[in-house]
Amino acid sequence: MSENNPFPNENNTGHFWDDNLRELSNDPPGWWRIGFHASWIFCIIYFILYPALPTLSGYTTGTLGWTQVGEYNEDLAAIDQVRSKWEDQINDPNVTAAMIVADDELRNYTIRSAKVLFGDYCSACHGAGGAGNAAMSVSESGYPVLADDDWLYGGTIEQIQTTITNGRKGIMTPYGARLSAEEIDDLAQHVVALSEGGEHAAGKALFMEPTKGGCFACHGMDAKGMSALGSANLTDVVWRFSPGGLESARHTITHGVNGELMDPQSRNAVMPAFGPLGKNLSEGTIKKLAVYVHQLGGGQ
Amino acid sequence: MEAAEKYDFSAVRWFSVAAVIYLVVGTLVGFYIAAELAWPVLNLDLPYTTFGRLRPLHTNAVIFAFGGCTLMATAFYSVQRTCGTRIWSPKMAWFTFWGWNLVIVAAVITLPLGITQGKEYAELEWPIDLAIAVVWLSFFLNFVMTLVNKKTSHIYVSNWFFLGMLVMITYLHVVNSLAIPVSLFKSYSLFSGVQDAMIQWWWGHNAVGFYLTAGFLGIMYYFVPKQANRPIYSYRLSVIHFWALMFGYVWLGAHHLQYTALPDWTGSLGAAVSLAMIIPSWGGAVNGMMTLSGAWDKLRDDYILRFMIVSLAFYAMSTFEGPVMSVKTVNALSHYTDWTIGHVHSGALGWVAMVAAGALYHLIERLWNVKMYSAKLVNTHFWMATIGTVVYITAMWVSGIMQGLMWRDYDEFGTLSYTFAESVAAMVPYYKMRAVGGLIFWLGGVVMLYNVVMTIRKAPARAA
Repeated sequence: MSENNPFPNENNTGHFWDDNLRELSNDPPGWWRIGFHASWIFCIIYFILYPALPTLSGYTTGTLGWTQVGEYNEDLAAIDQVRSKWEDQINDPNVTAAMIVADDELRNYTIRSAKVLFGDYCSACHGAGGAGNAAMSVSESGYPVLADDDWLYGGTIEQIQTTITNGRKGIMTPYGARLSAEEIDDLAQHVVALSEGGEHAAGKALFMEPTKGGCFACHGMDAKGMSALGSANLTDVVWRFSPGGLESARHTITHGVNGELMDPQSRNAVMPAFGPLGKNLSEGTIKKLAVYVHQLGGGQ
Repeated sequence: MEAAEKYDFSAVRWFSVAAVIYLVVGTLVGFYIAAELAWPVLNLDLPYTTFGRLRPLHTNAVIFAFGGCTLMATAFYSVQRTCGTRIWSPKMAWFTFWGWNLVIVAAVITLPLGITQGKEYAELEWPIDLAIAVVWLSFFLNFVMTLVNKKTSHIYVSNWFFLGMLVMITYLHVVNSLAIPVSLFKSYSLFSGVQDAMIQWWWGHNAVGFYLTAGFLGIMYYFVPKQANRPIYSYRLSVIHFWALMFGYVWLGAHHLQYTALPDWTGSLGAAVSLAMIIPSWGGAVNGMMTLSGAWDKLRDDYILRFMIVSLAFYAMSTFEGPVMSVKTVNALSHYTDWTIGHVHSGALGWVAMVAAGALYHLIERLWNVKMYSAKLVNTHFWMATIGTVVYITAMWVSGIMQGLMWRDYDEFGTLSYTFAESVAAMVPYYKMRAVGGLIFWLGGVVMLYNVVMTIRKAPARAA
């Protein structure tokens, strides 16, 4: 060390900065040196075994023959082997959704495997477990509950499958321009009364009068709706456009359903197609979803 | 005592105070978006305050505003003192200060408005990118020219690390930001597809590697031996781990893209070199900690030193965790989960923010020639930062690993056990816990800001 070393006897390198900064001549710790050499040796071994280095025309592929897509395909094959026992049956065009429901083992498999499908494709609108999504205000439309036995388009397994495959678009004429506010109020009161098991005389008259409401044409003489048209059953306590009640009924009657081009306040009630016309899910996947929805609580 | 004419610390003072302010602001935004994830109503249903827009504001504020001001303060301070010379151009240092702050203001305005390039940690649009390049080069030039004027025989180790950062960040920022502008606020990257992803993560990982690691190791190498008044443990270790980091780090970016369209060789090369980086990274941690050998008792009452040493412990931990996560088998579980967020924050809160806080306390005392207003509050900050970090990363470890396990869980039918929404629902308690950790950390920063303001107010009047 130089003679003017201000920090003698500490084995420093003899370089000083900013009064007291200096470095010792210690070797790195032994374990660190071993680790350091192990690190680059590890890299060399790894580069021999795995694809690692670019070449002019491609890259070294490694002696183990590992590829990312190969690993993926192996994993996929392993899982397919477990599933194929049931998947082959479900994907068979001759096996209908109704046959899946009737077969205990196949139904169990389908319900388990459709849970995630439902979560991915359906629950964003229909909620976890098909609990629906209630509207937050009178002017919103909400999404139907699938876990009850009230069905707009029918609750048989075949009807559910058709709904999923082709989607649905509700329709209802707006009455805001055809009827007076008072008449609309009467009709709304009648709709509320129907859901409570009664009726409202003035409203009922409008309901049955073809030149006024003419509601029976779609909702039926008994107001129980028609699944072929997707018209709602007005006599039960389930409201398509939750939260329901007088305000909500008045809004629907005034603005109608899916007439948003004419009236932005019109109700929105559209379900996209998941078959070839829309999401293009496979038929087997749609069958699974139909079985899953069917067993949520209200399948007919 | 430190001849005012020998050094010029005027811009350094402003950078230091700005760094403390940005620490508080940046972590407040972080706490807010953490709370948004736990209580989504805090989105306020406004596009400007959604998670997607505030998250880049948080990352830019902590990395570039807080991290940048800290780096510029410490680099401009230590390069003068270790070279025994005045800064090359005090005026240019002021240009760097105002330019950098202008960039930060531009980020604060454009990001909530949704003006973004959509590249992580490189969101700012092309005019701001150009401004960053100019301001960064002014920092670079001033630093190098000060080194050129050095009065010492050798270049001190902290300056190697700062130089490594300056060179690499210039290169990375310029290449990654290459874009074709279509209007003042919109541009398209020059790269597309998998090349774009690769370039993006070459930048993304090296922003961590060179800006938040090399730069902050530069801070460590100056401030730890200074605060402890001890020699650096091993010169040889400094040299080896410095060059290993410089050569090794640039290869790691591909480990962010495991199991994607990236070619097989880039992913496995990235993973192998990542693992080989554990030991070089630990070289820095060992060198810093061993610098205290024979002086461990100082930790008992030197709270500033505590920040530095605990930061090295977090540094050692995250530089072990990161490489492990880059291995494909582990990555298959950890990728896209909160584990990544936990890892980033063990580095960002535990290492970067803690070593920065230690260095800034040291700086404030020297720059204003006064002891901290309250040593007790420094200790309070230390414990809040430590506890906040531990709560944060523990929450993210648990939620991240749980997420990864739920996503890959198959039942006996070979079908997935959980829907994605179920995994989201399972995260809620951990998101709340993370927000609490972030809140504690943020409050620690508030304590620091208060302490710094009170310290400067009681400082004896000095010539400007």
